[in-house]
Amino acid sequence: MFENLAILKVAQSMASHAALRQNAISQNIANADTPGYTARDVAPFAETYEAGAGGTMRASRPEHLQGSGTLRAEITSRSQISTMSPNGNSVSLEDEMVKAVEVKRQHDLALTIYKTSLGVLRTSLGRR
Amino acid sequence: MADFSSALSLSASGMSAQAQRLRHVSENIANADTPGYHRKTATFEEVVSAGQHTGQVALGQVNLDRTALTRIYDPGHPLADEGGYYDGSNVDLVVEIADAREAQRSYEANLRMFDQARQMSSALLDLLRR
Repeated sequence: MFENLAILKVAQSMASHAALRQNAISQNIANADTPGYTARDVAPFAETYEAGAGGTMRASRPEHLQGSGTLRAEITSRSQISTMSPNGNSVSLEDEMVKAVEVKRQHDLALTIYKTSLGVLRTSLGRR
Repeated sequence: MADFSSALSLSASGMSAQAQRLRHVSENIANADTPGYHRKTATFEEVVSAGQHTGQVALGQVNLDRTALTRIYDPGHPLADEGGYYDGSNVDLVVEIADAREAQRSYEANLRMFDQARQMSSALLDLLRR
């Protein structure tokens, strides 16, 4: 029962996705004044998290995540460019700040899910 | 955790580049009245190591602004020519102050990212606590 908990894996993938995206946003902000720099980003978690074989969670709806999958995320150049400054830099500090808050919330959410799941496990073991 | 350490060093490189930029701005402002001084400009460039874009930023080569020096009329000045003019500097204080403000804002943005990465990694370490 305890050896392969899917919810812990999903939470772990979500946290590491948030960490990777934080890395991309840090790159963008560090290079906010570099001429010719194109902004980078990571695809959303739902698109990068792929269902693996032998998932232990039962998906009752098509939009449910399928069990113990793997995270395939990487930093790529952002496709849609909102603003382009005269020196060829496509970083908008405001957009990056909004994305940074999204990342922080996603990371907090993942860690909360992880902690709560551990709490449930502890309770089921009879400890508090 | 590796992502967090690299995010921290990325933000740190951004902060140090902005600090160097502010340093050049200070030099320009300090020399605004030095005769014959050309203002210094520097551009940012992304650090490429072993053919890979690291995402870190560094200040590139420092260049001198080649716009014409201002001609100042002061016949009593030791450097003045026959017409009473001498070459001042080509520093425009308004431009320098605007540049300094921009450097400060970008520094703050980098600092916020640094702080956020730190918070996220310490929240992760808190999982070990019981």
